[in-house]
Amino acid sequence: MFELSTNVASPRLLRRGDYSAYDALYLGDFSCQDTPANFSSHPELLAEAVDLVKAQGKKCYLRLYAVPSNHDLDRVRAVIEAAMPLPIDAIEVHNLGVLRMLREMGCSKPVHLGVFGNLYTDATARVVKDYGVTRVYPNPELSLKEAIYIRDHTPIQVLIPVHGKIPLVISETCFILEHAEHRPAEGCGALCSREHWLTRTAGGWSLKDTGRMTLSGSDLCMLEHLEELAAAKLDAFYVQSHGESSEYVAAVGRLYRDGLTRAFSGQPAGDLSAALEELTALAKMGLCNGYYFENAGRRYLGRA
Amino acid sequence: MPTLLAPGGSREMAAAAVDEGADVVYVGPLGWSRRPAESEMTDDDIKSAIDYAGARGRQVRIVLNTFPSTFEMDDFLAKVQRYADYGCSGFIVTDPGAIALIRRMLPETVIHVSIGSGITNAWDARFYRDLGADMIILPYRWGETEVEQVSRCSDIGLEVFLFETIQTGKICPGKCIMSSYLKYREWLPAEGKGESFGSANRGAKECYRVCQVQWDFTSGSEAAQSLKLRRDARLMLDQLPRMLALGVECFKLSGRERPTPMIRDLVRFYRKVLDGIVDGSRLDMGVYGEDLAVLRSRWIVEKNKRVDNLMSRATPAEVAAPRWGTA
Repeated sequence: MFELSTNVASPRLLRRGDYSAYDALYLGDFSCQDTPANFSSHPELLAEAVDLVKAQGKKCYLRLYAVPSNHDLDRVRAVIEAAMPLPIDAIEVHNLGVLRMLREMGCSKPVHLGVFGNLYTDATARVVKDYGVTRVYPNPELSLKEAIYIRDHTPIQVLIPVHGKIPLVISETCFILEHAEHRPAEGCGALCSREHWLTRTAGGWSLKDTGRMTLSGSDLCMLEHLEELAAAKLDAFYVQSHGESSEYVAAVGRLYRDGLTRAFSGQPAGDLSAALEELTALAKMGLCNGYYFENAGRRYLGRA
Repeated sequence: MPTLLAPGGSREMAAAAVDEGADVVYVGPLGWSRRPAESEMTDDDIKSAIDYAGARGRQVRIVLNTFPSTFEMDDFLAKVQRYADYGCSGFIVTDPGAIALIRRMLPETVIHVSIGSGITNAWDARFYRDLGADMIILPYRWGETEVEQVSRCSDIGLEVFLFETIQTGKICPGKCIMSSYLKYREWLPAEGKGESFGSANRGAKECYRVCQVQWDFTSGSEAAQSLKLRRDARLMLDQLPRMLALGVECFKLSGRERPTPMIRDLVRFYRKVLDGIVDGSRLDMGVYGEDLAVLRSRWIVEKNKRVDNLMSRATPAEVAAPRWGTA
């Protein structure tokens, strides 16, 4: 009927988290190769993780590093080689050069295009479909109308993020490390494990920074719009949980599992106040609707 | 011979660039090239610029580097055909699907992959070559090593901005939507795109350069650091001979939004430098030190003016449902 997925960066998070609300997990942190025990850069961790996910009856997708420089490509290739014999359901790429590499390596697994693949048009969706892409995560700037148009006119499956901070920027260097008061003697010291925020000095704007990625300050929230998503026959939904706590992942998943189940079975959503209070409490900078309704990403419109 | 690719933010600027020795001038149609309206051109002005350059043996390429909406792709392609009919020699494009469509329509035209495509490695070059692109603009972060690597593994043409390599900060062309998350801008009637959406990537004015205002960077209870998200790029000089030796074919001067006299001086300067390297008469870049220092200083002054101007233009986003949302 529908699929609800989220992301898991490492074995520790996979073991510790409650993912019972989710149908599928994206393994890996695509934003940084140096994240400790990151599935996206540690091929030796994949087999056990895939077994664990599969044992829970979930689909398992592997995320590849989103912005590989030339010197990163050998590492990316090693991860792909390790993944190919495993029962991974799809590989997510963001970089078009890596997409081409996958084809040259004879990868027969379905491919998902990630958020930094910059998918804006059905014309581009057709190009990447020829490379084996079966699902696209459109650029967050796209409206729902555009995402649906791309789905129908390519045709291709579209992944619709329903909750979580919006990925806004990805960079090849770590902003946290560059500005660390005391830089570690070796490696990066995983300084990103602590929360970092950017606030405009003149006031008004807040963004969350995870080193190589900057996220929206507010959490995208589509809880009040799930009936519209179901009516549009969208069927792949995603909770963006990079940098969030296990409690966040579990609570958000539970609320959306419940809401989507109701929406897809034709039941009215009912009073969402309690659920929205809970989501607001989890969001340090409030909620937003992203760009789905053709506005600046940080606006929250509420139910139409 | 290397190509000097210069900005034409207005008819006057395009003509000045041609007069000072630019081989190719790039111009952007209103609403389709990620610049403010005053740095873009009407179709009539574009035709005039093409005619002016053509009469002097030079070329004009059209910047269509927005990510078009799926709903405006027909308009996008109609514009491509119109400019081809005017006699432009090529296009600067971001969207991969649009590149493929243009190549199918115009087998002989020159297609540059815009910086907004976010290339990070040599395999990206192969991808775009397969799509039918002729030239990729190389990332700001790339130094000689990366240029050499890509020139070895792909026959796509190489183009560099006339900026020095930058290794730090958030420099993510094509991988950043901070501006539209924070602020949206209405379209101007002259742009004729009232139904389309207002992000920088999609042509609704340009990026507001929010990375270049002052931010407080905090973690926990530590004192905030006051910083910008990236540092200013400096005009390139010392790397030029090596870039030419590595096979870079095209050198792009940025600045459609700069004053025309500045672009005139920059084109004159870089024409002289490139010609001196090619004919072997001036291989020591040190002789240009004083001239370059003045130009760099003028560049930064104008850049700061522009950032201030962009920030003042941005309309604050309204928050309609403050119960759950925040500003």
